[in-house]
Amino acid sequence: MVRTSVVGLGLVALVLGYAAPAAGQWLVTDARRIGMGGLTLGRSGSAVRYNPAYRAVPAQADRRGQPKVTIPIPLGIIQFLHDHPHISKDPMFHPDSAGFNPILVVNTILNLPLYLEVKQAPTPTNDVAFTIGKNQLVVNLGAAGQLVPEDQFGISGSSRPLDFGIDIKGVRFGVMGWLHDQVQFQLGDTLLAFLHDSVPARDSTTYNVLVHGLVEGGFAPTISYAGRIAGDSATGLYVGGALHYYLGAGYARTDGTAGFLTGDTIFGGTNPVTPLGATFTQYSKPGNTLGHGIGGDVGVAWVSGPIEVGVGVNDIGATITWPDTRQDNAFYKDSSYSKPVANHVETTTKLPVSYIVNLAYTVGRTTLGADVLNTGLGATVHVGGEQRIGPWAVRGGIARDQRKRIEFGWGGGLRFGGLGLDVGFWTHTNSLSNERGITMATSLSIY
Amino acid sequence: MRAKWLWTICLAGLAAGCGKGEAIFNVNVYSFLPPKQDSVPYVIPPSTPGIDTGSVPQRISLPGVGSSIVDSILIFGTLDLHNTGGTGTLGLQLFMASDSAGTYSPSAAVLTVTSKTVTGTQVVPDTVQGKLLSNADSLFAKTQLWVRVAAHGSNASAVTPVTGTMVLTSLMLSVFINDKIF
Repeated sequence: MVRTSVVGLGLVALVLGYAAPAAGQWLVTDARRIGMGGLTLGRSGSAVRYNPAYRAVPAQADRRGQPKVTIPIPLGIIQFLHDHPHISKDPMFHPDSAGFNPILVVNTILNLPLYLEVKQAPTPTNDVAFTIGKNQLVVNLGAAGQLVPEDQFGISGSSRPLDFGIDIKGVRFGVMGWLHDQVQFQLGDTLLAFLHDSVPARDSTTYNVLVHGLVEGGFAPTISYAGRIAGDSATGLYVGGALHYYLGAGYARTDGTAGFLTGDTIFGGTNPVTPLGATFTQYSKPGNTLGHGIGGDVGVAWVSGPIEVGVGVNDIGATITWPDTRQDNAFYKDSSYSKPVANHVETTTKLPVSYIVNLAYTVGRTTLGADVLNTGLGATVHVGGEQRIGPWAVRGGIARDQRKRIEFGWGGGLRFGGLGLDVGFWTHTNSLSNERGITMATSLSIY
Repeated sequence: MRAKWLWTICLAGLAAGCGKGEAIFNVNVYSFLPPKQDSVPYVIPPSTPGIDTGSVPQRISLPGVGSSIVDSILIFGTLDLHNTGGTGTLGLQLFMASDSAGTYSPSAAVLTVTSKTVTGTQVVPDTVQGKLLSNADSLFAKTQLWVRVAAHGSNASAVTPVTGTMVLTSLMLSVFINDKIF
């Protein structure tokens, strides 16, 4: 049982530590986009989500070579099920089994087997040395020490799972669902130095991790506008804006620290360390008075012949006020206890501002583009292009992920009338390695 | 108990990062010995083919390596044989067990160093190095083990006893684990 807990916690930390850069790649199910390094073109992908002006921009599917529908072909799942036919009994996924492989579990989570992994990112294979004395503990992780995150790490997302309404001449009345989650960790200085720089552990010293977690969600009646304010369908300036009245159904937030205190002699007693924990938790349960706040989106898109430029910003000023919040303190040292701080008090949360800037240039059968997308946890940059030659298409791109690492995409496609088959390759470093792996995505396109 | 697995949490994360590389625990056994416990006085009576004179067992705390498999354990140390009289041979013997009493069992011997000859009043430096017997491997999966150091000697003289003190000056174990650590 203890072992299971340990393994679980270890894995959670690892997954969270490396999931952030993965998030941006998980959701791309279009082999065409993957072949262009994740580039957003026209009304595809992120442009419509983050730039309200794009609701009014004509799709111009033919000009961009963009399909109406993309259906992913999950070759990776077939491969995964072939390799692990009885996953519920597979010892590699059972912490209590001697064959349990945490590396495999973490890599599977970080690189969901939707697509075929044609080159596995190698895991570090260096030795790890622990030096232990009565009052001495030194850990030398070697090259693997570089995997210890120096900065804040975690996962964060802001999504709109529902969005329905009616359009009347560019004005849209609707309701959208909204969801914001954030889990972040920051290693304390002593723990970071111990793990990353092999600084010897000190006695009577606290080693801790700062923890922040937040989840909130609700719905938002929205009025928005998107339309062309200048030009015509060939050359036009489009603007869009949305005003949301956010209604919060519930939220929970915790901020705290978790760690341990070394004894006056590190290995001098039965328990080398004393666990410590302290959190400040705030929550407003569903059923409490709804949270409320106002925020907005703005966007502009300019289309001029072969050139298309767009800028969109979401959730501007979106501060949610929660009028009925409970606050608790919780502590742990030898045993746990909690202490209510306040109830029915007013607190606020803030949705992260997201933005996208995109550029596309099309000449003849060549399309080039670039975009910068920030969903609140660092910007990603994509630059790519596509050359269509008869029924064939050749694609390439480059991206900078949230870890500021450069990734590469390439691929191609073959179109038969209204049906196309696309293949895209994308490097990734989002597993427990500093070396790149390569994913192959395949999808069917309907034009 | 709660505190123990905190160490293992750290180790779990660390080991996960090291893939199939080895985990090496360098345990400074000498640092766990209380003052004067590093010295083992010996008296070998005349005409004694072999005798052990040992220290009291000493507990060593470890992080524990759980279900991992210990591949091998190497030892390196130094000692001085402060002989005060007689002529004979002396060498270090190391016992390890999961409890204090177990270290007195002959089967707990995990290392016997080749004996050196001592004579008269002299200080004979010696080096301890080698690979521990495999019966020590499983002990390192736990969070503590007991160690006892003994001087193993013989005296061929029919008249003069061999007397002196064996003084450890360093003792380090290197535990190699080539399996995942948890």
